[in-house]
Amino acid sequence: MKLVLAIAAALAFAALPFLSGSNYIVGVGTSALIFTVAAAALNLIYGFTGLLSFAQLGFWGIGGYATALTVVTFGGNFWTGVLAAAAINAVVALVVGYPMLRTSRHAFVISTLTFALLVSLIARDWVDLTRGPLGIPDLPPPRAFGHVFSSTHQFYGIAWAFSVAMLAFLYVLCSSRIGRTLVAIKQNEPLVRAQGISPMPYKLAAFSISAAITGAAGGVFVFHLGIVDPLILDFYYMQTFLIIVIIGGTGSFWGVVVSGVALSALPEALRFSDDFRMIIYGVILVVAMFAMPSGVAGWLRERELARLRASLR
Amino acid sequence: MSAVLQVSDLRKAYAGVHALDGVSFEVEGGSITGLIGPNGSGKSTTIDCISGFQKLDSGKVVLAGNDITGKVSHLIARAGMMRTFQTVRVYEKLSLRDNLAIAAQQFDPATWVDEFLRTRRYRDAVTASEKRARQLVELIGLQKYYDIETGILSYGQKKLVALAAALMPHPKIVVLDEPVAGVNPSRIREIEVALQQLNQAGETFLIVEHNVEFITTLCHKVIVLDQGLKLAEGTAAEIHADSRVLEAYLGTTPEVAEEEMRASA
Repeated sequence: MKLVLAIAAALAFAALPFLSGSNYIVGVGTSALIFTVAAAALNLIYGFTGLLSFAQLGFWGIGGYATALTVVTFGGNFWTGVLAAAAINAVVALVVGYPMLRTSRHAFVISTLTFALLVSLIARDWVDLTRGPLGIPDLPPPRAFGHVFSSTHQFYGIAWAFSVAMLAFLYVLCSSRIGRTLVAIKQNEPLVRAQGISPMPYKLAAFSISAAITGAAGGVFVFHLGIVDPLILDFYYMQTFLIIVIIGGTGSFWGVVVSGVALSALPEALRFSDDFRMIIYGVILVVAMFAMPSGVAGWLRERELARLRASLR
Repeated sequence: MSAVLQVSDLRKAYAGVHALDGVSFEVEGGSITGLIGPNGSGKSTTIDCISGFQKLDSGKVVLAGNDITGKVSHLIARAGMMRTFQTVRVYEKLSLRDNLAIAAQQFDPATWVDEFLRTRRYRDAVTASEKRARQLVELIGLQKYYDIETGILSYGQKKLVALAAALMPHPKIVVLDEPVAGVNPSRIREIEVALQQLNQAGETFLIVEHNVEFITTLCHKVIVLDQGLKLAEGTAAEIHADSRVLEAYLGTTPEVAEEEMRASA
């Protein structure tokens, strides 16, 4: 049932460029798809494993620069660039993740925040590599088999295929026994150890996979923008991913996917009132968090649990 | 019967205070052994040290012939020692089914790749674990909660879940840290019966408990700790007759205690 709904939703999204001639709407759709992937990756490390990682912003930026530099400086193409972004991030996450994950949960949060700030400093100050604050403009559109994905509508197809593939991978992972073990680690780490499971490899794998996917998403996103500069490391992106996860419901795969699409589109749906739309957006977020502190998915689950409890009495 | 667990000369000090000052004992395979003692006698430190949740200063712990001294907790669990905790630990937001499945998963041959791809090996492991879980759930009488989050259960029921989880992977020994502390008295009998049945089926238990009646009903052998030392060891009857034990618990000898009782009456 869920699977049928998911396939129907994926096909509906595939149809978007054929339904709207507006570059603007299709562009918003592209962003929504990419943000949803990054939020789903954050959900893996934060929602499932319970480790709030601000390093996602750093991985997003590294991914953006890695993809752009592969094309512009190192003579590769968009596709190898995205793969390089994923690979570099996976390795960076393993290297920085091991010491970070050995600290307490609070220290982990602070050190991931520091990592994100450090990446942003490098993007701005290592001018020889990143070209500094000016960034790298005019990124060429991706090509495949002689076809150039130059228009917004064509690029939407890439974003769509990318997000479907990444979300499918994350779904298989999160719904497997590995995903369940991550939740167990979040809930009761001493019990996990008493049952013979070493938490470290699971945490490290979740952090690294999350980093790789976030990096690839960052790579696709900068080619949607057509430019990469230090603004790719603006805290706005981290905040967007985090809000998507919290409103959707931490640890709920489908909750986060639905909220990813909904929240990316919401500011645009509020365009009828240009002066007040960001205020309305803020009010909606605050009300949602008050009414459903554990997100939409958590709220639904609590209702289900209350019903079960009543039926057992 | 041979000893499944051999503990020799266990020592542990916290900032100069000797929590354990050379404790040795053995647990026979297929037996129920009790570990009692007043507060601060070193019971909890003993099981935290043998299960790898605390570093011991010196001593030796051998489980079924394997030296597990100083190993980390998850490796000791893999070697065949499963434990529960004084303050009950279950995965509150996972179903009873998942709670039991997780407890056994490290002990089957399925790798991450098997789990990701749902291979035959993974599915076989899940079937076997499911079968064991159903048996244990029937034993603890929580069938109707099988698919429900364990968070809604009572404290006593969670203790039963923790017990069942510890038994999932067919461990060589199960260490129970205060299995009936804080449990409604009417439920204590249920836990007692469950443990007796499991023991008859061949399971070995080491139980730390304050409830002396519970220990003397169940255990084949009782070890008494006091101030980090082994004070006495023997059958329940022998321990009852030991004046040193009463002294440690009550601070007096039985004669004095009786006199005091007569005086107050």
